[in-house]
Amino acid sequence: MSKFADIKIDPGVVRRAAGGDAKAHEIIYRAFATPVYSICLRFTKAPANAEDLVQETFIEIMRSIASFRGEAALGSWIRRIAVTKSLMFLRSAWTKRGQALADDWDDMTAGDAVSHGISSHPDDAMDLDAALANLPDVSRAVIWLHDVEGFTHKEIADLMGKTESFSKSQLSRAYQRLRPMLSAEKSTQPDGAAVGSY
Amino acid sequence: MSSDEKDPEMICALTADEHAVLRRGLRSLPQTMPPREVWTRIRQQAEAEGLLTATPPSSRSRWYTGIGLAAALALVAVMIPGNQDVIDPTTVVPQGATSNSTDLSNLRALQVQSRELERDLRSLPAEPRVARAGTVATMSDIESRIAAIDYQLSDPTVEWADGDKEIFWRERVRLMKLLLQLRYAQAQRAAY
Repeated sequence: MSKFADIKIDPGVVRRAAGGDAKAHEIIYRAFATPVYSICLRFTKAPANAEDLVQETFIEIMRSIASFRGEAALGSWIRRIAVTKSLMFLRSAWTKRGQALADDWDDMTAGDAVSHGISSHPDDAMDLDAALANLPDVSRAVIWLHDVEGFTHKEIADLMGKTESFSKSQLSRAYQRLRPMLSAEKSTQPDGAAVGSY
Repeated sequence: MSSDEKDPEMICALTADEHAVLRRGLRSLPQTMPPREVWTRIRQQAEAEGLLTATPPSSRSRWYTGIGLAAALALVAVMIPGNQDVIDPTTVVPQGATSNSTDLSNLRALQVQSRELERDLRSLPAEPRVARAGTVATMSDIESRIAAIDYQLSDPTVEWADGDKEIFWRERVRLMKLLLQLRYAQAQRAAY
């Protein structure tokens, strides 16, 4: 499950934060900094960019928390801000490259998987991490939003300004790219081992 | 959000088993803490924009100083009698708790859990002489993060609120679990 859902913040802290209380904001930051940074880093791959996005995310939280009504969990609200900021960053990068979202997948050809370090015999988190990092930006974002954060295709489509079909297509392509390492992982995983769980 | 539903169209490139393995793997990838200075930057921008109304003393120094209390806490955690129930760190924070009124039992449970994870780690066979570079790098990174947390908690000049301690200890437990999983997988591989 998404790490955001595991974090609980006292409503009193949220109320204090809504009033601009610095200590309350620091508490919220300390609680959510790691999942926010992780998702930003997952999307951008560059620590410096991820740090900037964390800053933008928490500044946005400070600006907007007074309007947070608590209908959704605070973690979900913060996650959406982080995701939106990250996607905006990716859009910006794509714009700079003069590249459309849909073209992103074409950055890599099928043979690139090996040359980019995707192991054919993976049995640890580094392999999956590397494989994920070598997916095109859009596919990586879609698979992360769908399979880790639990967004639906409609929600992903709305976030990206695309259609549900686009989201499904990107997900399917990502699965195709990752499938070889999954088969290897299954075949090397002993019964009851935690290999696949980290 | 309905990611748990098995939509055949959605997972057409994978079998259900493969999809389950992938999703479990993705959800278990380690998280990364941002550098300490990020909060400083956020705070400076927030203050410049007038978003904050109060400046608590010594909060900045908390991010930069450290040595002492954490080592003591770690030592205390190691020495706590082992007859307490281990509590899942993701479930120990009560909705009504504030940072300064955290139930001490939660904190102690995390310390006990951390101690037990340390013990489990020690019980594994010695690290193999030949190991994957990626795995070694990951474990080294995790160990560094644990050391950084210990460093923060050890600062004798900072009196952490219980809620703050709990955040650090929860992260320490999480990292210890990751390290244990990696070491366990490594031991499994070495056994074959």
